[in-house]
Amino acid sequence: MTLLSIRDLKLTFRLWSGPVEVLHGISLAIGKGERVALVGESGSGKSVTARIILGLLQEQRNARISGTVEFEGRDLARLSARERMSMRGRAMSMIFQDPTSSLNPVYRIGPQFREVLDRGSPGISAAEARARAAQMLAEVSIREPDRVLDSYPFQLSGGMNQRVMIAMALANRPALLLADEPGTALDVTVQAQTLDLMRGLVADHGTAVLFISHNLGVVREFADRTYVIYRGRIVESGPTAAVFGDPRHAYTRALMAAQPRLTGGGLPDIPERDPAFDAPAIHHAAGGAA
Amino acid sequence: MRVVWAFLRRTGTALLVLFGVSILIFVIARVIPGDPARVALGPNATADQVAALRLALRLDDPVPLQYLHYMAGLVRGDLGISLYTNRPVTTDIAQFLPASLELIFTAGLLMVAIGLPLGIIAARFRGRWPDHVVRVVSLTGVSAPSFVWAVAFMLIFGYWLKWFPISQRLHDSFQVAPVTGFLLIDTLLAGDGAAWRDAARHLVLPAFALALAGIGQAARLTRANMIETYDRPYIEMARAFGFAPGRIARRYAFRPSLIPSLTIIGLDFAAMLGSAFLVEQVFGWPGLSRYGVQVILRKDLNAIVGTVLVIAAMFILVNIIVDLLTVLFNPRIRLAKGGKA
Repeated sequence: MTLLSIRDLKLTFRLWSGPVEVLHGISLAIGKGERVALVGESGSGKSVTARIILGLLQEQRNARISGTVEFEGRDLARLSARERMSMRGRAMSMIFQDPTSSLNPVYRIGPQFREVLDRGSPGISAAEARARAAQMLAEVSIREPDRVLDSYPFQLSGGMNQRVMIAMALANRPALLLADEPGTALDVTVQAQTLDLMRGLVADHGTAVLFISHNLGVVREFADRTYVIYRGRIVESGPTAAVFGDPRHAYTRALMAAQPRLTGGGLPDIPERDPAFDAPAIHHAAGGAA
Repeated sequence: MRVVWAFLRRTGTALLVLFGVSILIFVIARVIPGDPARVALGPNATADQVAALRLALRLDDPVPLQYLHYMAGLVRGDLGISLYTNRPVTTDIAQFLPASLELIFTAGLLMVAIGLPLGIIAARFRGRWPDHVVRVVSLTGVSAPSFVWAVAFMLIFGYWLKWFPISQRLHDSFQVAPVTGFLLIDTLLAGDGAAWRDAARHLVLPAFALALAGIGQAARLTRANMIETYDRPYIEMARAFGFAPGRIARRYAFRPSLIPSLTIIGLDFAAMLGSAFLVEQVFGWPGLSRYGVQVILRKDLNAIVGTVLVIAAMFILVNIIVDLLTVLFNPRIRLAKGGKA
């Protein structure tokens, strides 16, 4: 079952200097409960793709979007801004790079959590919201939910805020979770722990994930399938094992060669542009959807 | 606890500042040229009469001695006699201060109640027509001093359109027993609805003239701070959770933006104490500021020092209140315990 399908998505920003095409027609699909990674360097178009799926860029006046984005069988372009808004936070949600600055600094976690729950169950009482929030926090292995609910984000560690954010994002049982470089702002061990937690939770809930990252190691651990994006084009896609085990596109190979290794030996430079990187996309078949 | 401590500390420094102000204004009032005794007695008084008054006022003592004498009175609550009204300065201040406070509080209320929402709207609809309208309005507000607005309002709404009265606080036909000195409260206490409406109508023009610059400033500041806040990740997160744009503006973007705005809004509020001098003059508002202008022109020493001290005390009080509000609104300061800031 396909949950999200994107076909030939193009995005153009109209700037003073003229139009700039950022996405040149990307296509990708995510099945129900599937974990899919979108990998690429900064500026390759990963984050704007996530924001189009959420319907956030559609509201920006200088952005022109073409192609289709179908979520649960509905074409997002045909929905009104209000309908797209009602999907956010309920059918789909998102977690961000820096958890601490993504939580509002002037409210305690408890009230913020309640507002999130109110999106899923409008009119939820304060007491019920608190009980549900505490239960969600327990699910992300927070041992003192009450203390956390009564804290401001700046009183908690980055790892703790990351867990809070994951709990909030999954609170309304979304079908799709967009994770934009989650935890990149955290240190590596904390990042690994929270990603483990997240993987367990999405598996339990049957939540599909679009995992956006430039960190190949993390992607390899996390995703069932991987798309490699370069300058607004998908260059290689397929089951994660196939893409990593047998990278065939020149850009994918360059990206993998640029991973730091324990054995040392320095990092090769990836050239800014290379004719080989513009070669046609490669799709690994094996294991179902491609 | 922290709040209480902050309050005590600020009160301590405030007293110190007031002490400094008292020396400053005491000396300045005596250094400016002109003989207060001569001004008070008029050109026909004889030199002996002037000398007698100078003696009674201790004007021939050295200034430090005069100051000590004045401070000795001050601690007993005696600010001396005004040569202009021939009454104790404390009586004058008690009579004129409430009118000024009523005007300034009303103007401050207008500044916050109109300026902040305008700023929120401008930021929320940034670059679209509501933003442009707010920007023009607030720029107009800040680009002319309040007495210019006072004269303009008086001419347009008072003289031509005749919507509002243009001088005094209350029509002569109303008699209201002074309890608090605030007419809006005294008329309510007297249960006189017609008088309340009349007092409110008298307040409209001077309060708006006084508030206009502050409204513009508050709107511009709120807009700028909110636009900065809109770029923060927590706003994008609020969007990603599908909160409505109006809710995001009011709840998620406004509160964090209010903290940096608050200090400036407080300063603007305090600045009204100064602007009120001219606005009260224009509207014949029987307040402390107008009294201050009269006594300065007559070189009425005790009254000058008394008025300035009261206004300085109010200025400091407003600043303390603003500081406390900033602490209350900013959980990061409120909860700071040493290490984690």
